Order: sequence, then C-alpha cells, then structure tokens
Amino acid sequence: MLSRQSFGLNAVQRQSFVISLTAFFTSLLLIALVSVLILIGMRGMAYFWPEPIYMVTGKQPDGSAFTVFANVFEDPSGGDVRLKYSDSQTPYGSQKQLAEDQVESLDLIPESAEIKFQDGRRVLAIPEYIVVPSKPAQGLEKINAVMDEVALITAQIEELNTQKLAPIHEALSQFDKRRVDEEAPAREKLVASFTEYQKRVEALEATRAEYKLWVMFADKSAFVIPMSDVQSVDIVSRLSTFEKWKVVFSEIGVFLSDSPKQANTSGGVFPALFGTVLMVFLMTIIVTPFGVLAAIYLSEYAPHSALTTTIRVSVSNMAGVPSIVYGVFGLGFFVYTLGGSIDELLFSDALPSPTMGSPGIFWAALTMAILTLPVVIVATEEGLRRVPEGLKTGSYALGATKFETIVRTVLPIASPGIMTGVILAIARAAGEVAPLMLVGAVKFAPALPIDGEFPYLHLDRQFMHLGVLIYDGAFHSQTDGKSASMMFAACLLLLIVVFILNILAVLLRARLRKRYITG
Amino acid sequence: MLKLFEHNTLNVDDISAEQTAVEVRNLNLWFGNKHVLNDISMRIPKNKITALIGQSGCGKSTLISCFNRLNDLYDGCKYNGEIIIDGRNINSRKINVSRLRTNVGMVFQRPNPFPMSIYENVCYGLKLQGVKVRRHLDDAVESALKQAALWDEVKDRLFESAHVLSGGQQQRLVIARALALKPDILLLDEPTSALDPLTTLFIEELMDSLKKQCTIIIVTHNMQQASRVSDYTAFFHQGRLIEYADSDTLFTMPEKKQTEDYITGRYG
Amino acid sequence: MRQVALNTHISGTFNIELENLRNSVLTMGGEVEQQLVDTLKAVKHNHAALAEKVVLNDLKINSMEIQIDEECLRIIAKRHPTASDLRLIMTISKAITDIERMGDEIERIAKLVTRNKLPSSDTIKSSMLLIGERVAAMMRGTFDAFARQDEAAALEVYDQDNRIDSEYKRLLSYTTSEMQKSTEDMQDWLDVLWAMRSLERIGDRCKNVCEYVIYLTRGTDVRHTPLENMQQKLEDLT
Repeated sequence: MLSRQSFGLNAVQRQSFVISLTAFFTSLLLIALVSVLILIGMRGMAYFWPEPIYMVTGKQPDGSAFTVFANVFEDPSGGDVRLKYSDSQTPYGSQKQLAEDQVESLDLIPESAEIKFQDGRRVLAIPEYIVVPSKPAQGLEKINAVMDEVALITAQIEELNTQKLAPIHEALSQFDKRRVDEEAPAREKLVASFTEYQKRVEALEATRAEYKLWVMFADKSAFVIPMSDVQSVDIVSRLSTFEKWKVVFSEIGVFLSDSPKQANTSGGVFPALFGTVLMVFLMTIIVTPFGVLAAIYLSEYAPHSALTTTIRVSVSNMAGVPSIVYGVFGLGFFVYTLGGSIDELLFSDALPSPTMGSPGIFWAALTMAILTLPVVIVATEEGLRRVPEGLKTGSYALGATKFETIVRTVLPIASPGIMTGVILAIARAAGEVAPLMLVGAVKFAPALPIDGEFPYLHLDRQFMHLGVLIYDGAFHSQTDGKSASMMFAACLLLLIVVFILNILAVLLRARLRKRYITG
Repeated sequence: MLKLFEHNTLNVDDISAEQTAVEVRNLNLWFGNKHVLNDISMRIPKNKITALIGQSGCGKSTLISCFNRLNDLYDGCKYNGEIIIDGRNINSRKINVSRLRTNVGMVFQRPNPFPMSIYENVCYGLKLQGVKVRRHLDDAVESALKQAALWDEVKDRLFESAHVLSGGQQQRLVIARALALKPDILLLDEPTSALDPLTTLFIEELMDSLKKQCTIIIVTHNMQQASRVSDYTAFFHQGRLIEYADSDTLFTMPEKKQTEDYITGRYG
Repeated sequence: MRQVALNTHISGTFNIELENLRNSVLTMGGEVEQQLVDTLKAVKHNHAALAEKVVLNDLKINSMEIQIDEECLRIIAKRHPTASDLRLIMTISKAITDIERMGDEIERIAKLVTRNKLPSSDTIKSSMLLIGERVAAMMRGTFDAFARQDEAAALEVYDQDNRIDSEYKRLLSYTTSEMQKSTEDMQDWLDVLWAMRSLERIGDRCKNVCEYVIYLTRGTDVRHTPLENMQQKLEDLT
C-alpha cells in the first residue's frame, strides 16, 4: 500500500513536487503555443523580407556546371542548400536542391536585383541599362522617372479604353441588337471614331513597348524586359534596413490588396481575405437569429418534457459532428436539392447552366451556419439560464407579457452569453476548410462576390478562402520555396483575422456585460 | 366619556363591501397534488396595511401571488374560488392579466432592479403600456420616486445604473417602479428581509405614507414588523387562515391558541 | 440633563403615538390638579355641590387611567419600545396609577365636604387648607417636571414633601389634642383624620412620580433612597 509518507518526502516537498509537475505541463503548453506563433510569425514575415542575391556556381547532379543568380536557403534539416534562381533557360525562376559539396562558390553580387513583374513573376539578374525611345540608353538611376513615364502612358491607354472605346463598343453592340444597317451613317461614324481611338491606343502601346530594361544573367547572357511589365526593381544588397522595411511594407500592401498570381504562388490574397470575411459575416447574420430564437424556445417556451431534453442533447451532440459531414450535407442538400429547385423555379431560363444549383458563397455561409448553430444555441441557452428568475418575475409583476419580458429584460441580460456563442461560432467558421471546399470555396475565383454590378452581392458566386489558399499552398510548397512562405504568410493573416474578430467580439461582450451587470 | 386615543380600525367582521379592496372567497390552490391554500375567505380593507404572517410554507406568499395571478407562471398550479378586486373576479379567464398586474403592483423579497438606469427602471411599466411622450415619463418618474422617498437621493443620477444604489435604495426603487403605474393595491412579499434594521424602518415608514393612495398587503416573517406596520394581521398555518383581526387585537389578545403560540414564540 | 426625544423616530406614527400618550398623561394630571383645587375651594367655603362634582369627576380620571394603560399595552405590543421609549412607557404606566390614586385621595377629602363632616375648628380647617395649598403646589411642580422631563425640578419638588410631612405631624398632634376635648364625635374625627392623611398621601404619591421622572431621564432607580443619598447618586452619574 502506498502510504502518505511514500517516496520519503515530507508534506512541503510533496506539495512543491505537485506544483512543479503541474507547472511543468503548463510550461510545455506555453512552449507549444509560443512556438506555433513564432513559427507562423517568422515564416510568414519572411515572405515579405527581401533576400540577398548570390551568384552560385556549382555542379548539377548530372555533372554539368552551372552559374546562376539565386536566393539561398539553408535547409534546416541537413546540409542541403535550396536555391531559388533565375538563369537564361528559366528567367522567371526555378528551384534547385543541392548537396553542400555540389556548390562551388557563393558570392554576394551587390549590383544584382530582384525584378518583380506586374503579373507576379520575378527575375533575379543584374540590371544593365534602360532603353528609352528617341533618347540614348539611360542609367539605372533614372529607373523611377522612367517607370513614372511608363505609368503615365499606361494610364492614358486605360483612359482611352474605358472612357472612349468601351462606350463606343457598347453603342455598337446596341446597334447590333437593334439590327441597324451596316451602312447606316451613325454607325459608320461610330466605327470611324472607334478605329481612330484604337489607332491612338495602338500608337501609345507601341511607344510604351519601346521602354525596355536590359538585364544580364549570371552566365553573361542578356535579357530584355518591357518596362510596362515591371512592378519594382530592388537592388537588394544596396538597400538599407529602413529601405528593406519599406519594401516589406509595400509587399504587405500588395499581399493584402492584390489578387493571387502565378497559380497562387505569388501576388496577394485579397480575394481570399475578402471571401473569408464575407463568408463569416454572412454566416453570422444567418446563425445569430436562428440560434438565438431556437435557444429562446428551448429555454423559455418549450415544455419540460423528454422531447425537449432529447432535442437539447442532440443539439449539443451536433457540435461534435465532423465538419466534412456538414460539407457533404451542404453539397447534397443545399447545393443540389435546394439550389436545384431554386434554379427550376426562379432561374429556369438560365438552365441547364446552374445559378444557385452550384457551390457558392451563400451555400457555404449556410453550411457554416448549420455547423456553428449548436455552439450558438448552447451558449445562448447558458446565457438565458443565467438571467435571475427574480428579474423575470419582476417584469411580469409590472404587467409585461412573456414576450415583452424576453425582449426587454431577458435578451439584454443574456446578450453577453449570446455574444460568447457568436464569438465561438466566428472563430470556428473562420478556421474551417474542409466543408467549404465542397460548397463554394475555390482555389481561384475570377470575380469577387461583391462588385458594382446589380445585384452587387452575388450570393451564387464561388469565392476564395484563406484556409483553402493555405491548403492549396501546402501542395505547392514541395516545388516552390517562396510560395511555401506565402502559405505561411496566409496562415499568419488568417490567425490575425480570427484574432481581430475575436477581440472585437470580446470587447463588445465586455461592454454588454458591464452594462447589464446583474446582482 | 372623554376619549383620549383615536384608533379607527374596524373590527374585521364589520368591513363593508365598499371598504374592501380584495375579497377572497373560498380560495383553494394546489401545486400539483399539494394543497397549498385551503378554503381561504377574507376581506382585506382599502387604504390599510394588512400583514400576512405565518411559518415558511404556510401559503402566505402564494396567497398574495394569487392577487396578481403570478402563480399562473408556475406549471401545475390549479386554483378555484373567487378573488374579487374592483367588483370583478380576477380568477375568471376573461381577466386581462397584464392590466390586472399594473393595477396590483408587487415587490419581492430581494430587490430586483433591472440592469438599466434608474430612470429606465421606473419607466419600465409605463413603456410597456405604450407611454412614449418624454414629458409624461419624466413626470411619472419624478412623482413615483418622490412617493417612494427616493427622489432626493437619486435626482442627480437618474441615468446611472440602478445597481449603484444600496439595498434599501434598490428596494425603494422597486417600489417606485410599481408606484409609477399608480396601482390600487401594492403587494409586498417580505420586502425587508434582505435589508438591515434601520433601512427596514425606513421602508416601513414609507409603507405608512403610501397607504393614503393604495392598499398594502405585506407578507412578513417578522412578527414585530407585522405588529409595527399593519392595521390588520392574518395568521396562516399550513394553508389555512387561522386568525384574522386588527393588529391591536391580534397582538394583545389573540383568540386562537395557535396564534398566541406563534406570536409569543412558543411554536412547535 | 437628558431629554427623552419623543419625535425623532423614523416611524412618524410612533412619534405621534408617544406624543399623544405623554399629552394624555399631562391631561390626566391637569384634571387631578383641578380636582384638588376644586376640593380645597369646597373645603374652604363648605361648598357641597362643588364637592359633589369632584366626586363625580373622579370616574373620568379612573377611565383615563384605564385608557392610558391600554394604550401603553398597545404600544408595547405593537412597537416593541426599547431603552428610553421603554422607560417612558413603563414610567407612564406606573405614574398613572399614582395619579389615579391621588384622584382617589382627593375624592375622599371631597366626600368629607359632601357628608358635611368638616371639623368645626377653624384652626384645623385653615391648617388643612394650608397643607392643601402646599400639596397643590407640589403636584403642579411634579407635572411640570414630568412635562419638561426636568430632573432638577423633580428633585426640588421631592424635597417639598418633607415640609408637608412636618406640617402634617404638627396638625396631627394638634388635632389629637382637640379630639380629647370632644370625644363624643369620635366617628367624625376619624373621617377628618383620614382626610388629613389623604392630603399627606398625595404628597407621597407626587414624590413617587418625581422618582419616576428621574428614572425616565436617568435610567436610575432612586426609590427608597434617602434624599442626601439620592443627590449623591445623581451627582455620581453626571
């Protein structure tokens, strides 16, 4: 038998042993949490940090020699070196995994630059000079002025396209619709002006095409880049720390505001961020009234019967159902059955191409609402139960009906509880990926669910989601180190989004709690 | 012969119908199978304070909850018999319970102000009745708080939370909340059992001043309180009305031995 | 000097009840005082009708005693008075007994007049009247002290009883010597002696009331204490 004096410890020692043991596990937990945050934070931020460019010479595994400009990543797991490089064969970058002994030399090239393209590609090379129409070649120091010039021309082209060409095009298609004669004078006049503007655009484009950036790769081969494609040229090794931070912030700006490019390996995540927030927002709008009303019925009106208890138990159990089950349910019921029926009833002229009968943001929000409903119901019921019976009786005694009592007294006091439920629901919904991939979240969506076109909010559109982007990024990470970083950056962003949503909800709850403090 | 002291309390048997605020006739009440009130009949006089005393569970709180039909809230509550207020049997199904409850105010054991401002608390009942004009609400709040002797203490902080008030102030606020509806009858269910003795005396004094405008029925565990404040006292035991008399008589010369034992502390 | 403040309770009704109670005692006292004055007048002028009225009036005083007693009981039952309130009620409850007895003693003297048994000796009669005046003054002082709850005044009034006692003794010895001269009217003499004794008793009862006043204001029981000790006792307390 284990006596209390076992292990030869006295009472104080035993107590301090227990404290140490529990503290040990708490610190393990803390370490796990902190390392998750640090990993996500470091890797996420690394995505934005400009890496120095080296000239690497070495031998390929097949024995042939190579010389490239590359960002060099030491593989933390072994002696391997990972290169992200550009050369004349693959100017827009590729990756290489080399054993340490395959690398012959590694030289920092101060004048090399990372040239980012508008479409998300990038080139590592030494910029030589800039070709400008009707002028001698310019030095690199003029690059900003030249880029401004090019931007001006681009703006002119844009203006012509949207202000002049687009309306004429519109008018012409109207004529087509009304079957206006080909030779009608009005039409001819329009065609003439259209051609004229088109010529001006072409002329501008030709001028713009003459702006070129000459660069040189490591093997001394030259490469020509149209200036209009260039987004930025960063001579990484010459940047001061402050300038590096400037680069980081502009990168973050691009990351937050731009669309993904090059199959989600470059560019920004704006559509995914927008899609995530909008989906969560829609979900909250749907789930809050549903959950609150259901909880009010269960806790205030439902008779105290076995059926009510059964319902309550099943609601709690629903919270434990794997989320993919909800995804399948959403696809099978909402998208195909419900969406299909809506299409037949309301959008029958668009059939057979589905309108609501295909995965979309509304179905995704609805599915997530179903998924988070138990959370809201349970938390709301808990909040309702906390309302002191005396207050309810007090309200009845002043002539309030049950409904008035619930609206004026019970709900305000229960509001912190309701908010808790909504917070939990938001946190859960923002993090779910699996069911969303079945009911509307996609790797790449061509259009945002909200735009200037009637009805402005397109509930039937598919959308991008940060979680899905990360999931997608995880599959690219094997081939492209940089996009693996983008996955981490997206991860960091998702964390921040969930964090901000939670903080907002917690603040709101604290305010409500302070206002409706009882007792 | 010279009369030195004027005590115009009528004998309970001499209370006429016009002087009656609440008339209970053969009231029986059950919670489930438990017979809580057993054939109660009494006339509670207008503009007087009537105290209901008795042990816990003797049915006195249940009885006053019958006067505003608050027992309807509990499942398994059945009752028969008649309770006549204003010439109408309030146990009838045709009674508008909300209106009845505005006419019969109730204050509970623990102060239960709503988690709102003092002003909102007093307005609660009026707003339910659809009073929206700010001026009317202001007037009603002021007069109710004045009647409850709370105005001077809170007039500068009407829009602060009611929870900053002390227990006694909260209880007076709750009384003001009921008074704002100008009830004819005020039911007090052990209104001072959560308060200290001095605050209790203030509330008692408040009751005394309120009996000009309404009939007060108070349930209390505290016999001294019943004797201090009430004009009439009814003693209940196990759901039956044992003795009902003016307090002077009941506390000096009770008729029944049970009453005598209870008020002299010889019970059980 | 400590006053029992009657009107500072939270309960306004209680204030009114106590005030009424005190006033009723004063009313009763005033009534008894008037009885004594009337009686002395009747003795002086041998006014039988006035004496008759005094005898009848005593019923009123008796009823007052009962009413005040009932009110005291009611207040104790309903208000549960404590400390000074309790002393006040107890004082009143006891004082009215003494006051009622004073009424009875006065009635006895008045009956002497109604039965026409006043002593023929003018010396005795004037001595009786003199003691009567003294007693009336003492009674007035007593009720004043009670009304003002003035323990100093009460003590002073208390002191007056000594003189009344000595005068009573003197009158008694004179009357005894007179009685020896005319022994045939022994029955009438006895009535006169009783009446004289009554006067003296009124003084004693005033003394009692004064003791109650001191008890009321001080909370110290000074009954059965010689005057010197009593003063010492009071000084110790202050």
